[in-house]
Amino acid sequence: MLGRGRKRRKSEDDVELDMVPIMNMFLVLIPFLLMSASFFHLKAINTSVPVLSNGENNDAIKPDDTVKLTLIVEIKKDGIHLSASSDNAEENILAGIEKTFRITGKNDYPFDEFSTCLRDIKARYPKSDTVIIIPEKSVIYETIIQTMDVARYSKESPMFPKVVLSGKVG
Amino acid sequence: MALGKRRRQKGAFIPPKLQITSMMDMFTIILIFLLFSFSDKQETLSLDNDLQLPTSNAKLDYNDSIKLVLTKTQLQIDDKVVAKIRDGQVQGLNPNDLKASELYKQLESRKKNDDRTREDEEKDTILFLCDKRLSFDTINSIVKTAGMAGYPNFQFGVLKK
Repeated sequence: MLGRGRKRRKSEDDVELDMVPIMNMFLVLIPFLLMSASFFHLKAINTSVPVLSNGENNDAIKPDDTVKLTLIVEIKKDGIHLSASSDNAEENILAGIEKTFRITGKNDYPFDEFSTCLRDIKARYPKSDTVIIIPEKSVIYETIIQTMDVARYSKESPMFPKVVLSGKVG
Repeated sequence: MALGKRRRQKGAFIPPKLQITSMMDMFTIILIFLLFSFSDKQETLSLDNDLQLPTSNAKLDYNDSIKLVLTKTQLQIDDKVVAKIRDGQVQGLNPNDLKASELYKQLESRKKNDDRTREDEEKDTILFLCDKRLSFDTINSIVKTAGMAGYPNFQFGVLKK
């Protein structure tokens, strides 16, 4: 019995791997990867600002049969005001979209309710893809980005991906 | 004599064998983590410590374009400071005369010096990195100035959620 045990121990010793070269490789790889690793993933949101048109291309615009809305989202101190404009929508459609979402509790904008409303509009008028965001002067940048996020995508599906940021006119 | 030698051999120092299995495990985990967070982007953005970017669910990668950085204390084009910010107001930027500002002049000169076709110009965007605590009042004058200088399209830099 004793002899068998000794034999087994010897054969186990024989197959032990030499890990030192692998360790050396790891020690080289890890500093290299640490240097080239990015811990913050920077992403971008495409936005534009309104520009003055010289009116050259106005003749080329043809009226569309389907209703295409441009949503106007005003971010105010006390909430979000939603309205719409369109070249080919009737007045009653535009009036039906107008709604205000008041802030709840401790300056929390009701983004869930706002998102549900936008989803509903997108389902009714799927050709619409533009939103104009008009924040008040005191609104902070973080709130603007949150509003853009809600307006642009609902989970994975696009809603109003074309965002225009504008100051209040007049 | 022979007995003494044997005794000495028994007591001779045998270098202890290192147990590197657990270390290997640790290195493997670190290596996998680092491989996943490996960035193949050549360009690295150096951001100020006082710049707090907002988080977003945006998935779009940013373009290699003009970088406009707005922190609570200063406004930079790429790495050049063009204006100071005091109490949320951009110094030297008069809302009634935006064309007189240093920002407008810098952007306009870049636009002129860019040897690009009209199609390229239309695609021109500014990567705008702005502190999330700043108000729209501060941002508005800057985006307006950039729009007037021929850069109406922006990419708002955000951190991935």
